[in-house]
Amino acid sequence: MSAESVDETAEAVSAVDNATPSKKIRLLPPDAPLLSVQNVTTSFLTPRGVVTAVSDVSFDLYTNEVVGIVGESGSGKTVLSRTLMGLQPKRGVQVDGSIQFATPFTGTADEVEGPMDENPLVGFEIARAKESELRKIWGTDIAMVFQDPMTSLNPVVRVGTQISEGLRVRLGMSRANAKKRAIELLTQVGIPSPEERYRMFPNQLSGGMRQRVMIAIALACNPRLLLADEPTTGLDVTIQAQILNLLEQLQADYKMSVILVTHDLGVVATRTDRIIVMYAGRIVEMGTTRDVFYSHRMPYTEALLGSTPKVADPSHTRLTTIPGRPPDILNLPQGCSFAPRCKYVTEKCLSERPELTPSEATGHFFACWNPIPARAVPVASPRASANEIGVDSDRD
Amino acid sequence: MKLELTVTATEITPAVEENERKVLLSVENLKVEFRRGGHVVSAVAGVSFDIYEGETLGLVGESGCGKSTTGRALMRIEKPTSGSVQLDGVEMTKMKGRQLRLTRRKLQMIFQDPVSSLNPRRRVRDIVAEPIDCWRAAKGKERDDIVFELLTKVGIDPRVYGNRYARQFSGGQCQRISIARALAMKPKMLICDEMVSALDVSIQAQILNLLEDLKKEYGLTLLFIAHDLAVVKNVSDRVAVMYLGRFCEIGPSDTLYAQPAHPYTKFLLEAALDADPDSPRHDEVLGGEPPSPLNPPSGCRFRTRCPQATDLCASEEPQMQTLSEGHQVACHFPLIPVRR
Repeated sequence: MSAESVDETAEAVSAVDNATPSKKIRLLPPDAPLLSVQNVTTSFLTPRGVVTAVSDVSFDLYTNEVVGIVGESGSGKTVLSRTLMGLQPKRGVQVDGSIQFATPFTGTADEVEGPMDENPLVGFEIARAKESELRKIWGTDIAMVFQDPMTSLNPVVRVGTQISEGLRVRLGMSRANAKKRAIELLTQVGIPSPEERYRMFPNQLSGGMRQRVMIAIALACNPRLLLADEPTTGLDVTIQAQILNLLEQLQADYKMSVILVTHDLGVVATRTDRIIVMYAGRIVEMGTTRDVFYSHRMPYTEALLGSTPKVADPSHTRLTTIPGRPPDILNLPQGCSFAPRCKYVTEKCLSERPELTPSEATGHFFACWNPIPARAVPVASPRASANEIGVDSDRD
Repeated sequence: MKLELTVTATEITPAVEENERKVLLSVENLKVEFRRGGHVVSAVAGVSFDIYEGETLGLVGESGCGKSTTGRALMRIEKPTSGSVQLDGVEMTKMKGRQLRLTRRKLQMIFQDPVSSLNPRRRVRDIVAEPIDCWRAAKGKERDDIVFELLTKVGIDPRVYGNRYARQFSGGQCQRISIARALAMKPKMLICDEMVSALDVSIQAQILNLLEDLKKEYGLTLLFIAHDLAVVKNVSDRVAVMYLGRFCEIGPSDTLYAQPAHPYTKFLLEAALDADPDSPRHDEVLGGEPPSPLNPPSGCRFRTRCPQATDLCASEEPQMQTLSEGHQVACHFPLIPVRR
C-alpha cells in the first residue's frame, strides 16, 4: 500500500470516530445501499508476477436483498467475498477501489454536515480500514459463513463456547447470558437437543450440523450482512435443502442482506433477488435473477446454463459444452476473457474488452460485444412474489 | 485441441429389444461388512440388481449410503462378505489370483479424484499404455498406435500432450486420461464412481458428453455412481436409489424421476435444485440425518425419517415389489399403486 493511501486511511478512520469541529461528517442518504462496491480490484503479488484475481468490480447491495455471485472455480468469487469482508491480508495483497458499508451513525448532530436524518447512516470504508477498525464490524455488522465448516471451527473448543465467545466479546454479555443465547441460537438453526450439543466438539457433529453451528456463530450478533461462501458445497442434497431453507428463513427473520457465493446455478435460481455472474475476475452479467436466467445476453451465461444438467430434462439430453477451460488469470487474453471459448466471437472481442452495458430490454447489465438477442422474461409464478412480504427495512 | 468427438459407430445401439436384452452383470444379495473395533458396519446390506448389456445404470444416494462400496465390491477392491456377483454368467466373488485379474480386464473403474488416480511422475502415454504392458497385449508400433487412438478419442492430442506428466494437466484433462486408460484393455463395463463431481460444470458437461459418445462407440455398459441427481438422470437408462446400504427403488430414469414410488426418492428429488427460477419449490424437506450404519433401524431403514412410517415399517423389512415394467420399490406403502 502506498504512503498516500495510508494517509487516507488515517483520515477515513478519524472521520468515523472523532471528527474535529473543522471537518464535519457527511451522512449517507437514507436510501443509500447497505454495501456499495466501486471498482474493486484485488491483486496478489506473487513470485510469478501480479495476479489480478478480481478486476474492476462494482455493484450495490441494498438492505434485505439476497444477491448470488456465481462462477466457476478461479472466477474470483471467493477472493471477492473475502475482499468485501476485509479479510485479505495487508501484506502481498493490494485492494483498490472502494467498499463502502453503511453503518449507523451514533454521534451527535453538531458533528454532522447538514441536517441529521432520523436513522443516520455513515459510510465505513472496508477497503482501507485497519484490522482494529474491521474488528468492530466483523460479527456485529458483517458475518461470514465459509464453505468448509470443519476447518472454520476450532476442533479443540466446544461448539457452545465458540458461539458464546462472540456474544461475550462483541456484545459484552455475561457468561450465563451468552450461554442462554447460544442455546437459543442452536435451537433457531434447527439443532436437536441444543443443551447437549452445546457441550460437544466439532468432530462429534455431522457436516450439516457443523454448518448449522457456523450459521449460529454468524448470526449470534445479529449482523446486517451475511456473506455465505459456498455454504452447502459438500453437503448431501437433502441437507443442502435444509440449510438453504434455514438461511432463507433467517434472512427474512433477521431482515439481513445476504451475498450467496456459489458455483451451483441451482442454489441461486430460486433463492436470490439478483445474480452476479463472474468470469476470470470480472462481472460479465448482473441483473435480477429472472432477467439473468431468462434473458441473459452474455454467451458465457448461456453456456453455463446449457452445460448444467437438469432434473426436469429427460435422460440423455445432450448438454451444450463450453470448449476449452477457464483461462489462466496470470495471462488473460487481451480482449474479452471469454472470447477464446465463445461461439459468437468476433474480431473486436479478441482485441477490445467489453464494458458492462445495460440491456435495452430489461435494464440488466452484461459485458459483450456480440450479445445474444434479448428475450421476453416470463412472468413470475405467484410464489416468487410471496417473498416480497416483509421488505420494509424496519430493523433495530 | 479437439474437444468434441464425432460419433462414427452409431450402428452399435444400446437400445436392444426388451425381451432379448442380455444380462451382463448380475448381483444377488451382495453384502459388504467392515469390522471396526468390535463393531460390524454393514455398508452394503444385501442388494440385488442386474445390469443389461449396453445400458447405463445410475446409482444415487447420499454420502455413506454404500453406493461407492457397492461399486468397489463389484471390482473386488472390497471383498464382499456374502452374496454373488456374476459377470457374463461367471461367478466373481470366489475368484482368486490370475483368474480374478483376467476377469477384471472386462471391468474397469474410474474414480472421483482424477489427479490422484494418475501417477504424477509418469508420462501420459505410459499411463495409458500401462494396462497393455501389464498384459503384454501389444508391443512396439501396435502398442503406440492403440495409445495414440485412445488419447485422440478422449480429446487429448497425443502429439502435443503425450509426453507430458499427469501433474501438468487440469482435473478435466486428467479425467479424460483416466477414461483412456480404463478403455485400454477394451473392457465390457465401466464403473464410474463420482467421476464428474470434482469438476466445474462446463468441464463436467464435456466429460458427460464424451462418456455418452464412447459408450456408443465401444458398446460399453456403465454403472454410474454419483450423488448429483441431475447428472445421474442425464447419463442413465435406469436409476437405482440407495439408502443406508439398501436399494429403495430402481426403475427407468424418466419413470422414476417423474413418478417416484419410495418416499425417500420423492424427498431426494424435491431437494434437488434445478437451475431454473420457475422450478417448483418444495417447502417440506426431509428432516434429520441418516442414522449410523453401525446401528441401523429395524425393519425399513428409512422409517426413522419417513413421515408415513407405521408399526409395520418398524417390524418388517419391505421387499422389492414390481410396480411396472422394470420399476421396483422396497416400501410397504409405495406412493404409486403396485401392479398385482
